[in-house]
Amino acid sequence: MSSSFPGFDLSLPRGALPGEDLLRASPSVGMPARWNDVVLPGSELVAVSADRKAPLALRIVATRPHGDGFRYDFEYWGLEPGAHDLRTLLQRRDGSSTADLPELRVEIRSVLVAEGAALPNAPRPAELPQLGGYGALLLAGGIVWVAGLVAILVVGRRRRAAESAGQPRVRSLAERLQPLVERAMRGELSREERAQLELSLVALWRRRLGLEESRPAEVIAQLKRHPEAGPLLVRLEEWLHRPDARGAGEIPALLAPYRELRADELDGPGGAR
Amino acid sequence: MTMTSPQVSAADLARTEEYIRRVRERVGTVVVGQDVVVERLLIALFSGGHLLLQGVPGLAKTLLVSTLSKSIDLGFARVQFTIDLLPSDILGSEVLDQRTNEFRVRKGPIFTNLLLADEINRAAPKVQGALLEAMQERKVTIGPETFRLPAPFLVIATQNPVEQAGTFELPEAQLDRFMLVHRLDYPSPAEEREVLRRNAALGIQRQDKGAIVQTEFDVLDSRPVGSVTEIVAAMEAVSSIHVSDTFVDHVVEVVHRTRTHPDVELGCSPRAGISLIKASRARALMHGRSYVVPEDLYALAEDALLHRMRLKYGSIAEGKTGRQVLDEILRSMGGEARA
Repeated sequence: MSSSFPGFDLSLPRGALPGEDLLRASPSVGMPARWNDVVLPGSELVAVSADRKAPLALRIVATRPHGDGFRYDFEYWGLEPGAHDLRTLLQRRDGSSTADLPELRVEIRSVLVAEGAALPNAPRPAELPQLGGYGALLLAGGIVWVAGLVAILVVGRRRRAAESAGQPRVRSLAERLQPLVERAMRGELSREERAQLELSLVALWRRRLGLEESRPAEVIAQLKRHPEAGPLLVRLEEWLHRPDARGAGEIPALLAPYRELRADELDGPGGAR
Repeated sequence: MTMTSPQVSAADLARTEEYIRRVRERVGTVVVGQDVVVERLLIALFSGGHLLLQGVPGLAKTLLVSTLSKSIDLGFARVQFTIDLLPSDILGSEVLDQRTNEFRVRKGPIFTNLLLADEINRAAPKVQGALLEAMQERKVTIGPETFRLPAPFLVIATQNPVEQAGTFELPEAQLDRFMLVHRLDYPSPAEEREVLRRNAALGIQRQDKGAIVQTEFDVLDSRPVGSVTEIVAAMEAVSSIHVSDTFVDHVVEVVHRTRTHPDVELGCSPRAGISLIKASRARALMHGRSYVVPEDLYALAEDALLHRMRLKYGSIAEGKTGRQVLDEILRSMGGEARA
């Protein structure tokens, strides 16, 4: 008999006799081993169906007639260490007794170290972790978040305040118009101021008449039809846009009503917002 | 920096006014309403700019331009822009004359006074580019030869603002070549009633042994109401319209505000200001003035500036439109300011 698996010495003289106590060279748990040319008397043997909990599994690789008996090639796996008898896993095909079979003993060894070496470490006494800390953690996180938010708001407000401090103040329409009117009446307007005066008067009348939502292209036409705004704008156009600048003498009289313009006069319906 | 030019005389003004009145009357016999569009067409013609008309189909854009061309005695050509149009279909090309075995230049429809480029956004960009280049340079090169386009030369392009599938939107740089972009509105109910009444009165036109139903194009009076001389006189008159320093300041301010408005990504170029002043001069002439006034600026701002502005993506996402932003800019002029 010879092993088909390198590393396992399963040599046995061919045609081992039944009844001989055969101690097999022991494979380790889970590793397959072969035992060939085992001559056993009686009718043909077959392997017992596998049982999941059996300590050994057996497969008959080959069966050949041999005199009154048969010659078998066995393959087996040990699932638990120790000595096992293959007879427990054999039965006759014709259902007759297997009591006449010799002991077929095999040894399965364990590769694990002897008892005690694989025991887990003994638990060390330690303090239990604090239970219920999640709420405190949430509270701390919330405080940090609120503090960060407040810091961002404060910094942003200071920055805006610094920026607005550096910017010129927004002047209302009345505040812009009054000095322009004063200077126009004295004939001291510069070129840019003339343009501003005209646009400011258009803006003033647009607010007075509540035309702020009207389309700008339509507003001028509507203002020119207004009994008070119309003559003013036409005279301004003649003064500012005609090549011969007609009507400059009438300008002070036309602008006189706009000298004492109050800022709150433009408030109210259609007024300044 | 007053723009000084030879002053237009009262007689010239009166003659030009009379000419414009005749043109408007003639157009009015066929086209109902659309006074503003006729005004914009004449402004473009008299100030040497080009005009893009944006409007949904059926607003009589083509009829209007055809009527105008016949009224003012100018050469007219119409090109329907399509995806398979080639630059040579517009500009012209060299063809081999088999009798002489030499190449001969065959000029395209662009060699006319008044070119209607219908649905310009349906053509491929290379065709649009070829047309827009010719519009700016007023000359065309075919093979080895360069030809000047006839004078006056005016391109009136139309564009449908809906059905954008399969179209090539004109980029801002090319839109900038158009002096004015006018957006047509639907007619008022009264005007629409008149349109329907006139259309119902059209009969049939006998032709050979059969007949066809008449359209408005069939009833156009082909006799012009004036000559090219009167157009040239009007162009001269426009160039002599007075532009005050104050008006220039207004134009600079509105153009500048388009560049600094928080909703605007791309403001107007200096060409926008130039177009606005040119168009204002023509409008002043048409309104019987020898000088421009802020009313001209407000009336023409949308047509001269809006197509030269591009809003920020965020503002568009908020639902703002260019027209709203421009109105806001115009309303803010002369209001509060920083001291």
